[in-house]
Amino acid sequence: MKIVMKKYLILFAASSLIATACKKDYGNLNNPTEEVFLANATRDQLNNLVSGTESTLRNNLGLYLDDIGVVGREMYRFSGADPRYVTDLLGGGESTLSNTGFYITNVWSSRYRVVKNCNLLEEAAGNSTYINDAEKKGYEGFAKTIKAYQLLLTLNLTYTNGVRIDVVNAEQLGPIVEYDQALAEIASLLDEGKTDLSGAEVVFPLSAGFAAFSDAPGLAKFNRALAARVAVYRKQWDAALTDLDESFLVLNGAFDLGVYDVFGTGSGDQLNPAFFPQNQAGEVRLAHPSYATDIDANDDRINKATLRNAPATSSGLTSDRDVWVYTSSTAQVPLIRNEELILIYAEAKIQTNALTEGRDALNTIRTRHGLANYGGALTQGALIDEMLKQRRFSLFFEGHRWLDLRRYDRLNTLPIDRPDDDIWDKFPLPNTEQ
Amino acid sequence: MRKLLTTIAGCMILFLLPCSLLAQDRAVTGRITDAKGAPIQGVSVVVRQTNTGTSTDADGKFRLNVPANGILVISSTGYKSQSLKPDAGAADIQIKMEDDIARLDEVVVTGLTTNVKRRNLANSVATISSKQLDGVAPAQTFDQALNGKIPGAYINSNTGAPGGGLSVKLRGVTSIYGNTQPLYVVDGVFMDNTATSAGLNAVTSAAAGGNASTQDNPSSRIADLRAEDIENIEILKGASAAAIYGSKAAAGVIIITTKRGRQGKTKVSFSQDLGVTTVRRLLGTRPLNEENVQAQGWDVNEYKAAVAAGKVYDYEKEMYGEQGFATNSILRITGGSDKTSFYFSAGHKDEQGIIKRTGYKNNSLRLNLDHRISDNVKIGFSTNFINSSADRGLTGNDNAGVTYGIALSSTPGFTELHPDAAGDYPRNKYAASNPIETRDKMKNNESVNRFIVGLNLDAILFKGSKSTTRFIGRGGIDFYNLYTDAQFPSSLQFQTVNKGTTIQGSTRNLNTNYILSLVNNFNVSEKLTFTTSAGITQETVDYNNLLNVATQVISGQSNVDQAGALTAQQFRQKVQDNGIFIQEEATLSDALTLTAGVRFDRSTNNGDPDKYYTYPKAGVSWNLTRAGILGNNIFENFKVRAAYGQAGNFPAYGSKFTSMAVSNITGLPGSVVNTQKGEPDIKPETQTEFETGFDFTVFKGRLSMEFTYYNKNIFDFLLQNTLPSSSGYTTQWVNAGDLRNQGIEIGLTAQPIVTRNIKWTTSVGFWLNRSKVTKLTIPPVVLGSFGVALGTFQIEQGKSATQIIGLTDEAGYPTHIRIWGDQEPRFQMNSFNEITFKNNLSLRFLIHWKNGGENVNLTNLLNDLGGTSADFDEDKNGNKVPDGVDRIQKIGSTAVEFVQNSSYLRFREIGLYYSFNRLPVNFVKGLRLGVSLHNYITITPYQGYDPEVSNFGTGFSTGIDVDPFPASKQAAFHLNVDF
Repeated sequence: MKIVMKKYLILFAASSLIATACKKDYGNLNNPTEEVFLANATRDQLNNLVSGTESTLRNNLGLYLDDIGVVGREMYRFSGADPRYVTDLLGGGESTLSNTGFYITNVWSSRYRVVKNCNLLEEAAGNSTYINDAEKKGYEGFAKTIKAYQLLLTLNLTYTNGVRIDVVNAEQLGPIVEYDQALAEIASLLDEGKTDLSGAEVVFPLSAGFAAFSDAPGLAKFNRALAARVAVYRKQWDAALTDLDESFLVLNGAFDLGVYDVFGTGSGDQLNPAFFPQNQAGEVRLAHPSYATDIDANDDRINKATLRNAPATSSGLTSDRDVWVYTSSTAQVPLIRNEELILIYAEAKIQTNALTEGRDALNTIRTRHGLANYGGALTQGALIDEMLKQRRFSLFFEGHRWLDLRRYDRLNTLPIDRPDDDIWDKFPLPNTEQ
Repeated sequence: MRKLLTTIAGCMILFLLPCSLLAQDRAVTGRITDAKGAPIQGVSVVVRQTNTGTSTDADGKFRLNVPANGILVISSTGYKSQSLKPDAGAADIQIKMEDDIARLDEVVVTGLTTNVKRRNLANSVATISSKQLDGVAPAQTFDQALNGKIPGAYINSNTGAPGGGLSVKLRGVTSIYGNTQPLYVVDGVFMDNTATSAGLNAVTSAAAGGNASTQDNPSSRIADLRAEDIENIEILKGASAAAIYGSKAAAGVIIITTKRGRQGKTKVSFSQDLGVTTVRRLLGTRPLNEENVQAQGWDVNEYKAAVAAGKVYDYEKEMYGEQGFATNSILRITGGSDKTSFYFSAGHKDEQGIIKRTGYKNNSLRLNLDHRISDNVKIGFSTNFINSSADRGLTGNDNAGVTYGIALSSTPGFTELHPDAAGDYPRNKYAASNPIETRDKMKNNESVNRFIVGLNLDAILFKGSKSTTRFIGRGGIDFYNLYTDAQFPSSLQFQTVNKGTTIQGSTRNLNTNYILSLVNNFNVSEKLTFTTSAGITQETVDYNNLLNVATQVISGQSNVDQAGALTAQQFRQKVQDNGIFIQEEATLSDALTLTAGVRFDRSTNNGDPDKYYTYPKAGVSWNLTRAGILGNNIFENFKVRAAYGQAGNFPAYGSKFTSMAVSNITGLPGSVVNTQKGEPDIKPETQTEFETGFDFTVFKGRLSMEFTYYNKNIFDFLLQNTLPSSSGYTTQWVNAGDLRNQGIEIGLTAQPIVTRNIKWTTSVGFWLNRSKVTKLTIPPVVLGSFGVALGTFQIEQGKSATQIIGLTDEAGYPTHIRIWGDQEPRFQMNSFNEITFKNNLSLRFLIHWKNGGENVNLTNLLNDLGGTSADFDEDKNGNKVPDGVDRIQKIGSTAVEFVQNSSYLRFREIGLYYSFNRLPVNFVKGLRLGVSLHNYITITPYQGYDPEVSNFGTGFSTGIDVDPFPASKQAAFHLNVDF
């Protein structure tokens, strides 16, 4: 027994050594970690963050446009797989918007994912020893501008429920900020971005969506365009006009001049989620019937809602027109474009009682869409009506109408298609934020 | 691997060291029969404390060289063991074996390399014999064959798709986001059971909606195993029995022993099964008339024209109503000499599904070889090559309207989906896809080539009069290549954007493991013995999955390079776990058995890969009849037992990192923060289980009962905490709380009738489990379904871990949320019966009753929304509103319609077999004919296709029903010939 025990102890000790001798830690085999970027990022790594940020702007973009389009009665979204487009979003029957619904949680988290990436980009640029101060400012200016834009989209949905502005520290998130203050903070974030961009050097590549605006002065113009949008949301009409001056507004310029999300079929790239072919069944986006009934004859914007071979019906809703704004799987989606800037210009002018300039700007929109000049009364009220109408058709399915009517307290003018439907004025905060 | 080889080589040298034992051997022959005098084949005859042994041939005869003082131990499953010392003079020994209905003499593996007789076992260990597994109505895959056979388990079939996919939960849910599935060990080799997704999400967008997990429902890789090759399965249901497997054992361990060769004449046998598979149940379609077609907003003119032309179809039946032909052939050869024996099998299985162009194929080769190098050293090899292929169709949840079920849910029968004379399929106006076209053109195939090699070395290093020390080395590799191939040609209705999609996935997985141990048996006296074992283990996993999704595919092509766009994904996983264990077992008077052991484990998956976690265990069993406390008058055997153990569950790979995902834009490479935040301090879940019970046998062994109570606590369970997504992250792995499972298991085995002509053996099992989240350090987490409106799981302190909550419009619920059900059944029962007439005709059947438990049925909801449910226009509540509309109206206010009772009583297997003993030709030794029914009769209140369903595959969340591949049933004919 003794011998046995001895032998066995030696063996056991020896084998334990074998077992412990090979210390292992495989690390992450599949992707880089956050820490790698924060340590001392190279220019290439910072550029990866920029591209990742730009790319992620597109996550759940289709759903964001669906949210605003459906709630704002621009369109119907039928889905064989998810009934909530025709129940929750339209308030069908007894259903309401849920704080766990994908229509808010998915959009909210996608937008904040971009915000997180922007914060990471700022911190990584701050820690990097491979770039000079001007280059650093370029990264920071870009990050702040994009961050402000993403917070604005989120706030557009949650409205008076507010948003969280300070999210730098995931362990200690800042408070939920109410609507007016949030808008003010978004505006000042844009201002900071503008300051960074002046005198900055942009050394990072951007996609073709930024075409003419991919250098520091270009990004500053983009930044001011967004600032003008925020200013009209805040009813700061003079500020809006100042911002427009510094933006890429060209009153007689091409409507589609602007900054876009672009799509591609490359590896790791995305296709336009807001595109469906015409005459589809099952998964469809249809123009609300009122789009065709309310549009003036000869308005070429009717082409954004093309007639279907056969009407589509679901849950008591019918339409015979497809939404046809994004006409291919790689069609670009505007972040902001000149046609909106012209309309912001018109709005600010009308609101500051420069009615003729306001009307002229609206006429630019009208005539270039095949309509005659505005013939209505030259009063502020009538022009606001006209401005909202032009915004409705010019910015169809670009995420505006619901917000515009809310700004002017006119959500009650939206059509109700089924007796129990509701018009919502805001989305709830996701349950994880409460 | 090289380390493994050197270690083994090092140990091999040790075999040369032990003193060879010189003894005067003599040949002993004998014949072994049952109580009625019929010879028993395959009885093991071993000289105690040695590796010398043989087994009986078809006439029950054996021959063995026995040392002078050698004691023979004679054992065979189902019979009581005997040991005897052959008299010096006796040349031919006659031995009669007694039936062992309670299986008290069955040897059960309790350590990594040690075992004990059931009569001394401190745990309730379930075993499944070859006959129960495969001898009634064979299932398509190995995992399906387990269903309904394990007391204490909740086994659920995820899908009816060929190739299976099952979820096995032993004694309740043991983890929420961690691994819930048991470890499978086949002849000492740790089998990989990963379910690898085929990337169908690229087409279905299933993850884009309410639940971000992929819903491809892939098959579990354990399905590859052939049930026919299996001799015996032991199920260690919790930590108290499985602690010695340490950090892999939290969800239990299923130990599979395959068939091995026996000394004697070479035996060739051939089996052929022929079967027909049909759908278990169809839901039916809505009777249509002009009025409801109009109300539904469908094209009335199209309807009228279809009626006039007599072209109204039942697409559900057309889709799911195929009769699948099934064939299964297996050739087995076994034999051996006194030194070497072998088992060889070659099998071919080809089963068609109930949907056209679906099916399952499996080709398997197995060679198990045993060789005795010397009296003291024996070595065993197990090799298995498997080639399997499953065509699984396109079913389940999606957000693009492309799966068969989702497309059918909104497609009325009067629209034409069949191809015209030119072979062109019409576009389906009522859904995003034409399901008939999809079925006829798409492909979703999983194919596997798998090679499993196991090695088992048993060497007696030292043998004294009282003490024997053995080295036991076990190990092996499990290697497979899994190829997933999904093709969606550009002509499909839903491919107008992508213009053809081909998804090719390639997975390579290598698992290795070894156990090196020393076992010492020390017989202090006849009455007191000690068994000491100690050793080291290592397990490694190396998994590499490459998935290519190509779109804009050139017409008629399937290769991913023949495409305009290509997206690639890769996922790699490497894990190394190391363990050290030591275990001591003491038996006093064959009545009191004490066991204690401890295992130390570390893993590269832990936050700290160098830290060893400790998993102790202890058990005691006291056989009151053997100890002489209870007289032998009533109880033939009475045992009380208790056991305690700890086990762990390592965190998921990568949970300690905050990684950056790739997100590119027009050729610019981009990095974006992952939505999952890393937890650098992540640690394994730990489980402690206490189990106690008693077993007794009465009526001279004809009735035996087993009663077990267990209490299982899981500490620091892993949860994917939902973070406020404004942080940029949506989830984070955390050790979030504690969970408890309590339950009882009662087993009864009896032989109610034993006459000259009829023998009826029955076993009945009853089991139930209750879980409770005893601690939760984060707010309640909703998971596993599609939110409260439709019914979902919620992990909440003080509540059952598997509760299903949902919206309610009843008064008294201020949050409008209540508990609607629970996935956990109230109880389950099973009964396995075998009735034999005149030794020739055998009727066997297995009944399985699951009482209680709820599913979330969204299949019927989708049919309501699409206006196609069979009962849409009924008005059961008499409110003059069609029930379909009533149910739709309830969405968003109550989940009462969706959470449904999924109880069932199922005749899982019924088989009738006839064996011919006397045959006209000499070369045929035996012939057996049989017919069987698999899953043929089911009684259930559940309104979906089948109460067994799981949209999310294997894991925590079972019972979510979203247009699954409908369940099927099979009738088969069996032929078995022995040569």
